[in-house]
Parts: sequence; C-alpha cells; structure tokens
Amino acid sequence: MRAPYALSGLRFLMIVLTSLAVFVSSSALAAEPKRGGTLRVAYGNEILGLDFHTVPGYEMIWVATNVGCGLLGITPDGKFVPDAAESWQISPDGLLYTFKLKRNVLFHDGTPVDAAAVKFSIDRIMDPATRSSMRPFYEAVHSVEVLDPHSVQIRLKYPYAFMMHMLAAYRMGLVLYSPTATQKYTLEERKAGKAEAVVGCGPFKLVEWVKGSHLVMDRFDKYFEPGLPYLNRVVIRVIKDPVTQMAAFKAGEIDFIADFSADHVDTLRAQNPGAQIMTGKETTPMVAMMKVTVPADGKPMSKERAPHPIFSDIRVRKAIGCYGIDRKEIVKIAFKGQATPWLGIIPPGSLDTVDVTSMCPYDPARAKALLAEAGYGPQKPLTFELLTNTEKSVFSVIATMVKEQLARLGVTANIRLVDKPSWLTTTTQDGPFDMYIEDLATLLTVDQNSYLSMTTAGWNHSRHTDTKVDEYYARYAREMDPAKRKAIAKEFQEFSADKLYWNTISGSPFYQVAQPWMKGYVYQAEFKVHYKKVWLDR
Amino acid sequence: MRTYILRRLLQIVPTVLMITLVVFVMMRSVPGDPVVVLLGDAYTEENAVKVREEYALDKPVLVQYGIWLGKLVRGDWGASILSGRPVLSDVLVRLPVTLELIVLSMGIALLIAVPAAIIGALRQNTWADYTATTAAMIGVSIPEFFVGILLLLVFSFSLHGFLPSSGWMYLPGTCPSMVCGVSVWGNLQHVLMPAVALGVGRAAILTRLLRASMLEVIRSEYVTTARAKGLSERPVVFKHALKNALIPTVTVMGLQVGFLIGGAIVVETLFAMPGLGTFGIDAIIARDYQQVQGFALITALAFVVINLIVDLTYTFLDPRIRYA
Amino acid sequence: MKQRPISGGSLSAVELPVGAVRAVPLARPASPLTEALRRLRRSATALVGLGIVAALIGVATFADVLAPRSPTASDQAHTFARPSWDYPLGTDQLGRDMLSRLIHGSRISLAVGVSSVLLALFVGVPLGLVAGYSGGRVDTTVMRLMDLILAFPIYLLAIILMVIFTPTAGLIGTMKVTGAIAIVRIPIYARLVRGSVLSIKEKEYIEACRALGVRTPSILLGHILPNCLAPIIVTTTLGIATSIIVEATLSFLGLGTQPPTPSWGWDLKANVAFIQTYPWLSLFPGLAIFVTVLGFNLFGDGLRDALDPRLK
Repeated sequence: MRAPYALSGLRFLMIVLTSLAVFVSSSALAAEPKRGGTLRVAYGNEILGLDFHTVPGYEMIWVATNVGCGLLGITPDGKFVPDAAESWQISPDGLLYTFKLKRNVLFHDGTPVDAAAVKFSIDRIMDPATRSSMRPFYEAVHSVEVLDPHSVQIRLKYPYAFMMHMLAAYRMGLVLYSPTATQKYTLEERKAGKAEAVVGCGPFKLVEWVKGSHLVMDRFDKYFEPGLPYLNRVVIRVIKDPVTQMAAFKAGEIDFIADFSADHVDTLRAQNPGAQIMTGKETTPMVAMMKVTVPADGKPMSKERAPHPIFSDIRVRKAIGCYGIDRKEIVKIAFKGQATPWLGIIPPGSLDTVDVTSMCPYDPARAKALLAEAGYGPQKPLTFELLTNTEKSVFSVIATMVKEQLARLGVTANIRLVDKPSWLTTTTQDGPFDMYIEDLATLLTVDQNSYLSMTTAGWNHSRHTDTKVDEYYARYAREMDPAKRKAIAKEFQEFSADKLYWNTISGSPFYQVAQPWMKGYVYQAEFKVHYKKVWLDR
Repeated sequence: MRTYILRRLLQIVPTVLMITLVVFVMMRSVPGDPVVVLLGDAYTEENAVKVREEYALDKPVLVQYGIWLGKLVRGDWGASILSGRPVLSDVLVRLPVTLELIVLSMGIALLIAVPAAIIGALRQNTWADYTATTAAMIGVSIPEFFVGILLLLVFSFSLHGFLPSSGWMYLPGTCPSMVCGVSVWGNLQHVLMPAVALGVGRAAILTRLLRASMLEVIRSEYVTTARAKGLSERPVVFKHALKNALIPTVTVMGLQVGFLIGGAIVVETLFAMPGLGTFGIDAIIARDYQQVQGFALITALAFVVINLIVDLTYTFLDPRIRYA
Repeated sequence: MKQRPISGGSLSAVELPVGAVRAVPLARPASPLTEALRRLRRSATALVGLGIVAALIGVATFADVLAPRSPTASDQAHTFARPSWDYPLGTDQLGRDMLSRLIHGSRISLAVGVSSVLLALFVGVPLGLVAGYSGGRVDTTVMRLMDLILAFPIYLLAIILMVIFTPTAGLIGTMKVTGAIAIVRIPIYARLVRGSVLSIKEKEYIEACRALGVRTPSILLGHILPNCLAPIIVTTTLGIATSIIVEATLSFLGLGTQPPTPSWGWDLKANVAFIQTYPWLSLFPGLAIFVTVLGFNLFGDGLRDALDPRLK
C-alpha cells in the first residue's frame, strides 16, 4: 500500500507545477507585447525642422529621441542605462569618461556606430560653425579620443558632475550622427526632413515629413535591441487646438497626445474614463521674469548696462514678485490645483530641488510697505507693462490674475499680449519689457539652466549682472560629492529666491494622454518620449 | 479676341509682381525676424549676425527682392529659412486641399443661390420669397467662423461625432505623400462642414444679387416683348432673364473668390485643415519670409487668373460684348 | 439755374434742369428726400434694422450704467458659472461676468465698425472725386493704387497690416484695427465716387457751370457729390456690417484688440476651447455679433430700397 504522504506529495507536486504553469502562462498572456500596428500621435505644435543638433523645439526633440540614439539613457528614477554604449568608466579624477560601445549598433544608412562616429558627433556639436544649441553643454569637454573602433574616451578640462546627465538627457542627450550621411547631405536637406539625410541609430527611421501635415517613421529592422520596437510605424500629426485634439482622441483617431493642455484635462477625463492621463512632478517653471538692467546707450545687447527704472530696485522686486503675488490662488485657478506654488530657480521636479516657497508668503501689507519705502504710493502709483505671449492660453490667465492681484496693492500692470516670435525677439534681443509671464525650459538639473541664466548667456532675459549666479553654477557643476552638491543647490535656491533675478511662481505641469490600448509607454516628463517599448493591445 | 486674351495674359505678370513686391516689403516691416526663432537656444549676437549674412537678410529690401525674383525666374521658389523645406513643394502639397474647399464652397453657394433667387424673382413678395430673402439676410450677417462653430457643435460634439472635427482625407490621386488617408467618403466627411461654413455666406450674397438682377431684367422691355410675342413663361425666364442676370453675378463671383481665399484662412484654422490658408497665416506669424512669398505668389496668381476667366465668361454669356 | 440734387442713386438716371427740352410731369411730387423718408418709414426691414442699431448705440453709450458688473473684474470663486439670476449669461474662466463683457464689447465692435468705415469714406471719396474729375495721369495713378489694394484678398491684407502694427490693447489697439480695416475699404469708395464722376462729368450742365466760371471745388461739392450721396450712404451702412465681421474675425485669429479690453471676437476665440463643456460662453458673443451685423444689414437694405425703389 502506498504511503499516504507519498501520494499527497505527488499530488502536491502536481498542484504546484500546474499552478506554476497557469501562473506563468497567464502572466505571459497578460504582459505579452503584440508586434505590429501603427501608433498615431498628436503634437500641439509644429516641428520646426529635423536637424537634431541645431533646430529648437520640443517637438523636434521627441522625434530625435526615436529616430536617433545616444550613448546612454536615464530612467525616471535617475538611473543611467546603456543605449549605444554598453558600459562606461569614469576615472578617479573625474576627467576621463571611457565608453565601450555595443558591437551591433548601426545607423539607418547601414554604417556602423563606432567610436569615430561618436567623436564626429561630439566634435560637430562643439564646433562653433555648427551653431548647435547644445554647444554650451559641452563647455567642460576638452577633446574626444578614439581608443579603438569600439571604445571612445571623452577628456574633460575640469571635473563636471553632470557629464552623464548631460549626455543622457539634457534636451535630448547626445544624438549620434553618421559621418557618412552628414557629409553626403547638406544641412538644409536634414532640416527639411529628407528621409535619406536624416539618419540616426534609433529604433525608428524617418520615412517622410510633410510640414504642417504629418511625420512618419517606420521600424528600423536592424535596431540593436532584439525584438524592439514592437510598432511597425509611428505617424505624428500636428493638431494645435486642444478641443480638436480631444475630439480626435474621443473618436479614436489618435492614440497618444504628446503634450496636452492642462486646462482641459478634466474635460478629457470626463469624456474618456479609460484614458491614461500621465503627469508627474513639474520640471518646468512658470516664471514672472523681471528685467533688471537695460542697455545704457539704448543699443540692444550693449555691454554697458544701466539699471531698469522699476525692477532694478530689490525692494520693488520683492514687493511685486515675492509678497505681491498670491501663488496659491494662481495655481488654484489657472491650473485647477494641479501644480505646485513655487519659488526658487530649481523647479519642483528637478534634481536637488529645495522648497523655499516659505520665503515669499503672500503678504499684501508687506508688499505695500516695501513699495512705499521704494517711493511708490498713492502719490506716485506704480505702473508697468506685463508681457506675455499667445503660445498657451494659461499665460493670459495667469497674467490677468497677476494684474488683479497687483491692483489690490494699487499697482497697475498693463498686459501686452504678443505672438511667440515677437516675444522671443523682445526678450532675447534685449528689447524693452518690464515683466513677463512664461514657462521656460524643462530642467533635469539646474545645471541645464546655466545657459539661460548666467550673466553672459544670450537667454539671460533679466540681464542681471550678478556674477555670484555664475559662481553658483560653476560650484554646483564641479562638486563631485552628491551631498555637498545638494548643499550648494540649497544655497543657490535660497539665493535666487532672495535676489529674484529669476522669479518662479509655480511649476508648470506636463500632461500626456494615451488610449487604454497603448501599453508599454513610460512617462518621463518632457525629456524622453520613447516609443520603442510601446505596443498596441488590440 | 485672341489679341485681347494675349494682352490680358501679359498683364498678369506686372500685377502679380506688384503684389508680391508689396507683400515682400510689408513682411520686412513686421517687427522681428526669423533669426531668433531659428537659433532658438543657440541665440547669441554673433550667431545672429552670421545667420543674417548667410540668408542675405542684412541687405537692402529691394536687393533681397531681386534675389528672390532671380530664383523665381529659374523656377526656384526658395526654401523656408526656418525649416529648410522648399516652398514650392509645400505649396503644391497644400494646394489641393484649399482648391477643393473653395470649389466646393462655391458649388454649395450656387446650389443654394440659384434656386433661391429664381423662386424669389418669380414668386415675388410671397412667403417663399420672404423666406428666401430672410435666409439670405441671415447668411450675410453671420461670420464664417461662427457658422463653423455652430456646425462643429451640432455635428461633431453632439451627434456622437457624426462628422470629424479636424484633419483631412485625400481624394484618390491627390495624395502628396506616401502615407495618406485616401478615401472619397472620408474626404467628403472632412470637407463638408468647412465648405458649408464658407459657402453659406457666399450663397446669401449671391442670392440677393441674382434675385435683384433677375427682377431688373424681368421688368425690362425685351422680356415684356418676348412675352407679348406669346412665348411661355419658362423659356423667357431661363433663356433671357437668367442669362443676363448672370453677368453681374459672375462679376461678383469673381470678387467673391478673393473673399473665399481669405475666408478660407479662418475656416481652415478652425477645422485644422492642412491647406494654404493655415500655411499662410502660420508663415506670417512665424515671419517665415520665403513661405509668405510663396503664399502671396500663388494667391495673387489665382486671383488674377480667375478674374481673367470671369471676364472671358462674359463673352459666352452675352454675345453683345466683344473685346477689341 | 439751380440744379436739383439727383435722388435714387442710379448712375444712369439723370434729371435735367427745369426748362430743358423734355416733358416733365406737371404734378411734381414732394422733394425726393421726403419721398425717401416716407418709403423708409413704411419698410418693415428698415425699421427693424434701425431699431436694432439704435438699441446697440444705446447699449454702447450707456455701457457703464447698464452692465451689472465690471467686465474685467475676475472672481475666483465663481468661474464657469452657468447662466443664472446672478450671472444672466454665466461667467468665464476667470469669473468675469459675460453679460457685462458683452455689453462693454459692443463699444469696441461699434467703434471699430463705424470709425473704420468713416475713415475709409473720408479718404476714399476725395480720392475718387479728384481722380474722376482730373482724369489723365492723376486718374491712372490713383486707380492703380486702388487696384493694388483691391488685388489682395481682404483678410490677407488686414492680417499682414495687423502683424505690422502689432496688436495691442486699449485705445491704441482699437485704433490699429480701425486703421487696418479702413485701408482695406478705401478703394470701394474711391471707385464708387469715381464712377459717378465719370458719368456726369461730360454732361452739358457741368460744361455750362464751367463756362460760367464756377470754380472746380464747388462744382465737385455742389453738383457731383450730391449725385453719389445715395450709393455712398448705402455702401457705408453695409460697410459697417462688413467691418464688424472683419474685426471679429481678426480677433478670432488673435490679431485684433487684445485683452483685457472686452471684445466679442476675442471672447469667442478664447471660449471656443471650452465649447464642449460650456457652450454658451462662445455662443453668446457669436449671437451678439450676428444680431449687430443683421441690424446694420437690414437698415442698409431698407435705405437702399427707400432711395431707389426700382431696385426692389
């Protein structure tokens, strides 16, 4: 007679094996990505051009991160992951970065992604003749050396704490260019989106771009990650108006909206209960920038500066920008509470950020007192011009609210609304303005902002001349100890909140919307819009 | 007759040139230029100076116009400063969309106007007439974009998306690229609301005009003579009245095309259509000089050619008119 | 030999002076002006139109009194309110009362509509008079210029002009829009008047005037201009309607008077984004534009019929 234990042991084993099999197969069924299909994406703005190294605009970046590839990538929690490079080493003195490349990475034109290509790409970006917007990021780089066909070494002039962050995700990170293709085709052909000229090493290759209509990219069959991408094709359409986007989304005509207007999130949620609405901590600041100096001789961009008649006085800056603006109210009305009231130069979601909003509580009495000290009052009321542009409707809403709030102080802010190119011209070319409302670049780290804020940068809109800001940036970038870096960041944050050359009102939330059948997409704010792991469940 | 046509064809050139010159100069008067947008984050003074030099933006306006003209004569419409894309190919891609919109709107306008005018003229001062004239009056008073908004409200947002609110489907054969939605039914769905929005206003104007002209002709002597001769009602109306009433109508139609081209800008913006209208206004706002020139050129050409066709149609309608 | 001003506005009909060799009906009716007024009073359309226009002028003039609240005062606690007793037309995203905004918006629409047309009139009519009367080089030059403006699709020219002027808010902004629209409409008046002038210029009585030594300006003003009066009046009234639509369209494209100045076109554009959830916010400004334009069109039509009944 068989021992009862032996039988139950066998039965037990069978039960375990069966359940294991069921578990494995069901989870596999549940998570099995389906190959094929076309992803239909909507952008809210035009793509300006397709030469990745020089053309501005997020819409271009989001194409570059799919058509191009770089050395490494970064996950939402800040870990570095390999892309075309399989491993890397940093020398103890922090001056040498050696990357070992994967063997099977190819450009879309068939040429290999080797160390020479990496050197070519970085040299090109660093060349002043290219006029690349990413050139300031490579300030610390001394040279690039090809050690062997699959090893490339970057030598820095001084230790740079964010070298890896920069290569991974400042704007789109380093995007590798094929030397063959770059030399064969002209800059204009690349900008114009000629399919053979726009060559990258990413999971999708450019098929066609009809400006104002659509952009098409197809799976690159020789992509170095096996099995990826799942999608056959990605089609990007430009739909400028959020109402139209919502209608197309509801009708199932598009699968993914890459940048959705914060104003309409509630409506879209109500209309599409199953939609995936993705957002995260804000990495973009909404600022009320005040101009601090003006050209002394009246000539724009003049090196000789004179103080701005109104906002050069720190008391006025504090009165208006610090105590006079009710940040909570603005967030409540303009963003329906979906943003964070903020102060300080590092946005709520960026690395090493510190909340210093308590340094500027809403205090109209104090604001009025400061204004009186500065000489403004019922006898001499303060009047200035508040500039904003038509790119996003939320700017006008915030500007109107600021105007209202300042009116409570007896200050008159006259709103001037212009289109984006005019705004760009006025602010970047040292044109006349007093204060503007806009959301500026998205920041992975505040170091990325240095080209926007330092005294010498073209984008230093407030035109401040305080070299202490430059000092902070330099110290922050060169401090290799993370704990000490955090301390420097905190100091910088408090300093910027105190001086108000850069006046943040709140974070600017970023939304992406996907249909329920779009799987595999990882939200990473504006930095990385990757379609390579996306698959369609239908 | 042939010399007349030849002369008119030759006259097209200076007219179009003048229009493009004026647009050229006006765009240069707009504050700001494309350089700031072009450079984006790479903007520095020295870069800006270099770029301006590269694109000849620092030369006197007339010299720049000369350069543009020189290229044009060789068939090169130039390339956008911002995107590097050749202007001609972009214009040709967007042309079928706007063309279809305009032709369809005019068709809808005529479809409404002619019967309404005939009813109004024949059955003057009856209920039918009053309805027609009131409807015409209403049509003239609504801005096109409001008609568009109402249509969107009813057909896209209320009736479960019966008609799509944006985008475009190409007719077979007009697809400019490898990837198009192509379907006749889809195309119709996308063009219907915009064409109605544009056509309604035109219909109203045409109805009033056609009706008034027909009335005038009906009262005039030779129609009474024809009647006195014993001809029955129908041929009188259709042969004489309608044909002669069409003359001022055709003139107005020619002028209406100008309005249509402009009205198309608004309607295309509202319905997010990839046509010439959105092309033009985007170019103007972005200060993309080359694209604006391309837009001005094709608009001027269309306008002038259509006027010529209108003038030639007179000879067909009224044999009494002959050109030296 | 006092010339009676010609009524009816028709360019072909010309009344010859009393005593000329043409049979004149013995029983002369009342003067053409009172005739016209009588027809006007009997026309239903004209009266309705006039009523609407008068009401609008009243609203615009007494906007401050009529509007229950300030059109620019935002109230954070009551955004997107539905139409109710408190807010008859609801509130917008910033809590501003739509009714007050509409009432104040009438000022911009009327101001731009009327002044752009008047401006076009005051520039176009003298141009047409001078061109038609002088003939020759002056005529060709002026008409070439007018043709140039007419060669542009109306919106294209207005858009480019506004981009050059740079849209702003307040009085200056309104003036810029007025200027842009006026420029586009000048050729209409110039052509109209020139046509009139040409048809009358060679008539005998004008020659007689000249022979008698009457100076050119008084010929122009005293004899020629009155003949064109009727079509000018009609064109003006209908032109106001068109101007209002153009202003609304420019605002809709973002190129008209900028906020916070309340403008119907701007409110339409700003609220179209919310059309699915708060449709009334864009419907009401649209209706306001429609009713205003309708009023002017009806009145203009009535005027035309009154002044020249043969065209009815």
